[in-house]
Amino acid sequence: MVEPKDYDNDFENKWCPGCGNFLIQKAMKQTFAELNIPPEKILFVSGIGQGGKTPHFMKGNLFHCLHGRALAVATGAKIANHDLNIVVNSGDGDCYGEGGNHFLAAIRRNIDITLLVHNNQVYGLTKGQASPTSALGMVTKLQKHGVTSSPFNPLATALGSGAGFAARGFSGEPEQLKELIKQAMNYRGFALVDILQPCVSFNKINTHQWYKDRVYDIQSIGHDPSDLAKAIMLSLEWGERIPTGLFYQKESTPFHSRIGVLQDRTLISYPFDGEKTAAVF
Amino acid sequence: MRTNITVKIGGEAGQGIQTIGSLLAEVCHSAGLFTFSIDDFESRIRGGHSFNLLRISNEQLIAPGHIPDILVAIDQRTMNLNKATLLPDSLVILNAENKSDSNADIDENSCSEADLEGCKSDNVLRISLNRLAKEAGGLITANTVAAGCIFAVLGTPFDMLKELLVKKFKAKGESVINLNITAAQKGYEAAGTVRYHKQFDWKPTKTDRIVISGAKAAGLGALASDCRFFPFYPMSPATGVIASVVPYSGKLPIVVEQAEDEIAAVNMAIGASFAGVRSMTSTSGGGFCLMTEGLGIAAMTETPLVIVDSQRPGPATGLPTRTAQPDLLFVINASQDDFPRFVLAPGTPSETFESVKKAFYLSEKYQVPAIIMLDQFLATSQVTQQNFFKVDKDVERFILNEDNLKASDSLSQSPDTYKRYSITDSGISPRALPCMGNIMVRVTGNEHNEKGEISEDAKNKVNMSNKRNSKLAAMKKEMELPEIIYPKEADNQFFLTGWGSSKGPIIEAYEILKLDERAKERGINFGYIIFKDIWPMDAESLKPLIANKKLIMVEQNSNCQMGKLITQETGIIYHASILKIDGRPFYAQYIVDKALETIS
Ligand SMILES: Cc1ncc(C[n+]2csc(CCOP(=O)(O)OP(=O)(O)O)c2C)c(N)n1
Ligand code: SF4
Ligand SMILES: [Mg+2]
Repeated sequence: MVEPKDYDNDFENKWCPGCGNFLIQKAMKQTFAELNIPPEKILFVSGIGQGGKTPHFMKGNLFHCLHGRALAVATGAKIANHDLNIVVNSGDGDCYGEGGNHFLAAIRRNIDITLLVHNNQVYGLTKGQASPTSALGMVTKLQKHGVTSSPFNPLATALGSGAGFAARGFSGEPEQLKELIKQAMNYRGFALVDILQPCVSFNKINTHQWYKDRVYDIQSIGHDPSDLAKAIMLSLEWGERIPTGLFYQKESTPFHSRIGVLQDRTLISYPFDGEKTAAVF
Repeated sequence: MRTNITVKIGGEAGQGIQTIGSLLAEVCHSAGLFTFSIDDFESRIRGGHSFNLLRISNEQLIAPGHIPDILVAIDQRTMNLNKATLLPDSLVILNAENKSDSNADIDENSCSEADLEGCKSDNVLRISLNRLAKEAGGLITANTVAAGCIFAVLGTPFDMLKELLVKKFKAKGESVINLNITAAQKGYEAAGTVRYHKQFDWKPTKTDRIVISGAKAAGLGALASDCRFFPFYPMSPATGVIASVVPYSGKLPIVVEQAEDEIAAVNMAIGASFAGVRSMTSTSGGGFCLMTEGLGIAAMTETPLVIVDSQRPGPATGLPTRTAQPDLLFVINASQDDFPRFVLAPGTPSETFESVKKAFYLSEKYQVPAIIMLDQFLATSQVTQQNFFKVDKDVERFILNEDNLKASDSLSQSPDTYKRYSITDSGISPRALPCMGNIMVRVTGNEHNEKGEISEDAKNKVNMSNKRNSKLAAMKKEMELPEIIYPKEADNQFFLTGWGSSKGPIIEAYEILKLDERAKERGINFGYIIFKDIWPMDAESLKPLIANKKLIMVEQNSNCQMGKLITQETGIIYHASILKIDGRPFYAQYIVDKALETIS
């Protein structure tokens, strides 16, 4: 049996004490243990940012990409070998800002991977500038007069673009988060888990307590995840109350099942036959 | 005896100019003749001016034609653009209609007698394409009518044309075949007894030659290299590379995926390559700009990557459908800081096939990016070549497989002991694939230690940069030195020096200059130097070869990029340069004239 500690490594952690990422990482390890996936059988693909560093602080195969490009690299890797179990760790800036086009394309392709977005509503690694999910009016050192764009809504965008799995977790609700990640990993297709994550150093508005006071579990009020219209309504709710949980899930055909040559076997597993190749020229 | 005939067919986009050209080329091919065909068109789908320039010969061709021996003017614009440069014995096939005819299908842009004013040739054959096409059974056959007429003046036996039409339209059924044969016959008969004064010996001939473009050769080179994944974003003149592999999906295990942008295309290629599947993406300069960060992460993570850059004039959108060689210094230096990479610039379709194979081999052997430089001219010209499809039975992958992973005790015992970036004498670290055994493969674009952990240690940074750069010595030795040809050691000798696609026109110019009276009178001798494997440049070996030679750089850019590179690497300064930046390909006579001009 795989244990969460099998994912521990001895590389020095570089997050600030109290950062929400610790809890996200813990939930990841527990999920992988419960799914009995050993670290050598998982491929992390991550972007640039504090969230993107997560796989450095644990065991597993890893491609730590350029800022914003994790989904594109993950897409290529998954097409090459769709047996790979790929988890992408990204940030709100990384995924919704720099990599926004890849986010939309990944939803449409329905690449069978799990995307965890460490959404702290701020650029952590570059010391606190506004991110695409920062609240309108939020003051930062560089946005002195407050953020002047309205925030990006990842769940509404995903649902509006046809995503087959969309969930929101909160690092402060580790049990729920673990279950959401598990469901995402088990989902056949593109699975988004947007994770509310307090940044203790740079986001003084959306603190742990701020989220605690607002989040509620939509499953506990009986939300049916097959109800798209309701899911979209919930995705638009943000303020005094913030819904978390599995917003939407539908059965879908993942990208590799839409491609003829990938029906029966992985691309990498085909043998090369020079004679056969020459014969079709 | 060598016979060359250049046929130029001009008209609006959408008039099927390319269809006529390819029909001509196919019949020539079936007669064992050689062709070199270029399409010149604007970045639009209908209207404007476009032409096909088909050069036909009974011997191998290495360069395009220029002044037409036979001009086929489908519209007035073609006539007006060409009449002043025609040769006195050029033959003009003029699409002329009686415009006072009350016929509704009159082609308004067809020519009239007024368009002939100032024409350097009075060899004019007038035909009415639309009228003949209608007589044959449909306006749609106007192209076939034109082809029939051209074949008549070339002296091609009608049966050879007929045979091809039957083959070509077989899938479309009897009635389409007959319609086209009738149309071809109409055109053929319209030529009457007019024949161009140079004639080939036409008879059906079996050859194992092929007519192929650089783009297709690149695509097939990739397939021959076991490339299985082609992520791309459309951009002229690079799309043809990917288009050429599409017909093989279903027959070979390949995936062609249109990415959301070039950044995605290159990163998808990198992801697949990391996971163990050979991948290639293709773009032009503008798309390459977007790929530069991808080049950097491929270099930093030491992930093999092959990119085709099919060049066009820039900057920015530039001339989308035209040719140039403006990206050389860019691709050699693209992305921040410094890292080893290969840059190969084949000169012909057959060389392209080989260069692509070599790029895959080298990219995986050294775990560095490899870039193949094409351009619109090389990518789109259709050229007769000896069949070059040599596919090796196996391709060498330079990947640790399950067996050699197990054989290495330390690796199988503890997953933690595998070091993706182990320091070795060659700089090349044994590469394993993710999730393939019980080891863990960890790579990152941050500076890292041997295990792939982020490291900001000063000494480590130096060691890792040195490790990556230490591959260079061996990489240089993989590069073929340039081809250097001259009749004999002589005083007053000048070397036409180029790279990539200008190879053919340069060699043809050299052949002309060898016999040139003006050159002889002035006691000037010529040779040529052609670079194919460009980067990394083996300056130590190159220097003695070119040290005392006078180089005349022949390039399609405004800043003499190869000349600059030679100077940068060897300290040798080129003598002069012939730079053509109008977006149109080199032709031999242009280089000849400029060379003589330059030396005087
Ligand atoms: C091309 C590029 N642009 C900018 C940066 C600088 N940069 C690093 S992380 C980051 C923002 C990260 O924000 P987010 O994705 O929200 O991650 P967080 O640190 O908050 O987890 C930026 C702008 C970079 N590394 N690369
Ligand atoms: S800056 Fe914020 S996101 Fe980054 S480690 Fe510190 S608390 Fe976490
Ligand atoms: Mg953030």
